[in-house]
Amino acid sequence: MPQMGVSVAEGTVVEWKKRVGDWVEADEVIAAISTDKIDTDVEAPAAGRLHEILVHVGETVDVGTVMALLATDAKPGEAHSSEGTSAAAVAPKAHSSDGDASSGGTSEAAAALDAPGEAGELQGDTTAEHAGSTQEGAGLRAGGKRYSPVVMRMAAEHDVDLTRIEGTGRGGRVRKQDVLAFLETGNGADAPMHIESPYKPDAPPTPKKRMQRFGAPASDVAPMQGATAPLSRMRQSIGRAMVESLQTAATCTTIVEADMSRVDAARKTLGVTYLPMIARATIDTLREFTALNATLADNTLTTYDGVHLGIAVSLGTGGLIVPVIHDAQELSVEGLAQRIKDLGARARENALTPDEVRGGSFTITNPGGYGSIIATPVINQPQVAILDTEAIVKRPVVITDAQGNDSIAIRKMTYLCMSWDHRALDGALAAQFLRALADRLETWPVG
Amino acid sequence: MATMTYLQAISDAMREEMRADERVFVMGEDIGVFGGAFKVTDGFIDEFGAERVMDTPLAESAIVGTAIGAAVEGLRPIAEMQFSDFVSCGFDQLVNVAGKMFYRQGLSVNITVRLPSGGGFSGGPFHSQNPEAWFMHAPGLKVVAPSTAEDAKGLLIKAIRDPNPVIFMEHKHLYRRVKGEVPEGSYETEFKARVARAGSDLVVIAYGAMVHTALEATADLDGASVEVLDLRSLVPMDTEAILASVRKCSKVVIVDEANQMCAAGAQVAALIAEHAWEDLDGPVVRVATPDVPIPFSPTLEQAVLPQVDDVREAVRELLDF
Amino acid sequence: MATEGKGNVAEGETEERASRLAGETGVSRETEERASRPEGETGVSRETEERASRPAGESDVTASPAGEHLTLEDRTGLLRAMLSMRGIEERAMMLYRQGKVPGSFYDGFGQEAVSAGPAWAMHGHDRLCILHRDLAAHLIRGVAPARIMAQYMGRAGGITGGRDGNVHFGERRVGCVGMVSMLPDMMLVAAGLAMAFKLRAEQRAALTWFGDGSTSRGDFHEAMNWAGVQKLPVIFILENNQYAYSTPTTSQFAVDPVERAAAYGFPGVSVDGNDVEATFEVTRQARERAIAGEGPTLIEAVTMRMHGHAAHDDMKYVPAEQIEEWRRKDPIDRQVKRLEPLGVDVVALRSGVKAEIDAAVAEALAMAMPDGETATERLFADEPALLEDAESRWSGF
Repeated sequence: MPQMGVSVAEGTVVEWKKRVGDWVEADEVIAAISTDKIDTDVEAPAAGRLHEILVHVGETVDVGTVMALLATDAKPGEAHSSEGTSAAAVAPKAHSSDGDASSGGTSEAAAALDAPGEAGELQGDTTAEHAGSTQEGAGLRAGGKRYSPVVMRMAAEHDVDLTRIEGTGRGGRVRKQDVLAFLETGNGADAPMHIESPYKPDAPPTPKKRMQRFGAPASDVAPMQGATAPLSRMRQSIGRAMVESLQTAATCTTIVEADMSRVDAARKTLGVTYLPMIARATIDTLREFTALNATLADNTLTTYDGVHLGIAVSLGTGGLIVPVIHDAQELSVEGLAQRIKDLGARARENALTPDEVRGGSFTITNPGGYGSIIATPVINQPQVAILDTEAIVKRPVVITDAQGNDSIAIRKMTYLCMSWDHRALDGALAAQFLRALADRLETWPVG
Repeated sequence: MATMTYLQAISDAMREEMRADERVFVMGEDIGVFGGAFKVTDGFIDEFGAERVMDTPLAESAIVGTAIGAAVEGLRPIAEMQFSDFVSCGFDQLVNVAGKMFYRQGLSVNITVRLPSGGGFSGGPFHSQNPEAWFMHAPGLKVVAPSTAEDAKGLLIKAIRDPNPVIFMEHKHLYRRVKGEVPEGSYETEFKARVARAGSDLVVIAYGAMVHTALEATADLDGASVEVLDLRSLVPMDTEAILASVRKCSKVVIVDEANQMCAAGAQVAALIAEHAWEDLDGPVVRVATPDVPIPFSPTLEQAVLPQVDDVREAVRELLDF
Repeated sequence: MATEGKGNVAEGETEERASRLAGETGVSRETEERASRPEGETGVSRETEERASRPAGESDVTASPAGEHLTLEDRTGLLRAMLSMRGIEERAMMLYRQGKVPGSFYDGFGQEAVSAGPAWAMHGHDRLCILHRDLAAHLIRGVAPARIMAQYMGRAGGITGGRDGNVHFGERRVGCVGMVSMLPDMMLVAAGLAMAFKLRAEQRAALTWFGDGSTSRGDFHEAMNWAGVQKLPVIFILENNQYAYSTPTTSQFAVDPVERAAAYGFPGVSVDGNDVEATFEVTRQARERAIAGEGPTLIEAVTMRMHGHAAHDDMKYVPAEQIEEWRRKDPIDRQVKRLEPLGVDVVALRSGVKAEIDAAVAEALAMAMPDGETATERLFADEPALLEDAESRWSGF
């Protein structure tokens, strides 16, 4: 199990792309895993025949656990072990990690086998791992999943391995059309294993508004109608982080109002959205209020020279991820705009590297585009503050002219909401920071 | 071809048969001089005379019983129950005399009993029923239920000619709401199902007024291809057509306007569970009226009778399964 | 009007008959005049009493309540039908006790005249709905005793092929409709048959029997009302045999049902149900009314059920005196007493009937039981199968 990032301690096997007995090329994707931070493919460290799968789909193991065994002395074109000939592999031998990982951390995805090439008896039962390769007499469950009668029948008729079929039904059920589609694509010869990212957010459980009629059959679950589905890994991961943050930090939120008229005017010239401009202003203000550009861990506050700015990216209803712009102070508004766009796109494609999601010192989240005007964000641990930019709304404001006369004008206003950790700073500092940020925005050079 | 309402098609069927065959006559309460509670036989008495358009005493058992007597002597009576609900007064004659006569005695009983059935207009508990299941359960009776004007005429003509007792469920809520092209002259419609709309992702099985509900509910459903099977004949039931649709679509929603317990749809569901198990990609879902008398007040009535939204929800949920 | 009918009337009697019809049959008068009747026993219509005493002024045991309407052949035929009915039922009862007859067994012991007389008065193209104690009617219509035996025994060759039991049968090919257990459902069917005759303007009548108990059910009233309001050519014969299972008539109605006919707009007449020629005559008259378009008649045939409701009933609830009283009025004995002085060889008649029944039993016992595989067949008809005509028995047709 590879380590996908420094803080990742474990991973879950989502899918085996190869069956036991299959030939695997070096660097060919052999499995898909999911971690707290990221989902990714696992490539085979060497060519060989997949001899034994030790960690099955759905199982979570510590980083470093041997997931499978590869018979590297096998030859391509040899009989598949399910075809009844004696297997070419020999007694398996555990192999320690040799740090030849292609990704950031150590990779122990497979153990190479070296042994004299004599065909011998295998220890253990090799046929047991033919997970669902034939369906005759198979029960309704294979790989922990249930299949409907028609799906079972079709699988039997066409000798299809149902575990290889992606289900599009409720809760990931394999439906009749999934089997039909699978068959149409030539029994998975062109199965989109490499084309699509293995990470997919689960279908959001929409509550069904069923009219509750008299005499609905009794059930054990709560009488309210709806739909149930387990949370995805990512959602659970986000949830854990949020709870931890709220339980660790003394979270407070301060809100300041800013007149965005000048920013608005400048924006049009620059040809960017508000976010990179606010980001730039935030960076500048953080250089001034260094206490906010910091992380707090074990009663130790670390402030940073550079501003490593995290920008929260929504992944739809599946969750969110916070890619980090390291040393963001080096980027202009346009530069920031480009980086934000790039990171956002790659985040949604699940193409971020692990380093791009760690090491932030301050985070900006901007859900304002959806129309909210005030929010109380949760601090992105172990940082000490997070800024939430809300919708920019035309409001009537009181303008005092040089003579001290008041009048009402219509201005584009926004609330800058910042949650901060009272363990690291006080409200006065938070307010000052925000006021300074607002001032920067309100005096943005125009023209 | 002529465009006519469901009601007109029923009148037309009887008129055609009465003109062609002097053995055919109609009998019922208020059907002669008054033309019928729903005016189905309006004008009949002028054309065919009082003997063949018989205003009977208020006596459902007698209406059915004397119809049986006339039928075994070779006449072809069409007996009308003013509301399907009142058929319970003639239940004994239908079930014990008419239904069993041929099986026991080899004596065929050609009667057609027309039942204006169904709810949706605040008729209340005694003017809104769909009692077809009572008679599906009695051996020896045939039961048909058209949903279109064309089928109403063809099925009724076939029923009149059938030498067996046929119970004709004419849904009164469709009387004037359903119009269609109806062939002129005489024609028979076989006692078999009909595919109202072909589809492949799911099939809704219904009959009578619920066919229209099903069609409307699934007309534009997220691009899904939903088949609607109109049973048309409950006894004999077209098991072939049912199983063919299930094999094709693998998902089934059955709609009953009748009370759920042991309704026609329950029989269809049992049939599918037993004979189409390997074709199913989801549970067999039923949308039916709950087991209460049909209430009078519109908000209550609409709450119990299956509405377009109920069918749509059930279909959508099963599609997603 | 009767002379225009399909009846086969002997020439010499035309005028007499015509005059009799012109209000002199006394049927409706009978109803009005019958003031108090001795309980349990009714006299024959006054008319027939008068006729009986007309010829010789002294009691003539061979005299017929039907007068000249019945030839000697008719009268003998009536006796033979009753002998046959009793003989068949006695044998069937024996077979029942011997385990050859499944289910239950019903008979009309002591009531033979109630069905024989009226059936004889009906034309072959008339229609009958026959009840369970009216076996003689089936025999008069021409149903073979062997097939009746087979019917009791549930054989494939029985009239219903084993699909219904005991007397739940009706041979459609001789114009008989088989009964159902719900009584008096068949009254409505009879009314319907009559309705068909009327619609087609045919000179035909329908007849049905039903018991005292069944007059309490709705179908009795619906049928009486319907027949009355539509003036249908139907004859309703109420077999008042004093008991409906164990329920005596005193628990069944507060008004003598024959009185009810007036409430429905047509005459009711009571007749000695154990006098086969009286039952014949009153039915003959009712039929003429019907054919003439005068509508229905209710005939109450007063008799006694001499056996239990069915073979399993020992009728302990009937007082012994009542049974004894009625035993002395046995219909067969009375008819024998009438005909023996006229030279009819009753002994030969009896042995002929016995031989016929022996042969019938042998034939029936040889028939196979129905094949279980056929149980679900023939539920629906592919072609119409309607009622057909029988041979008329009465010389008057």
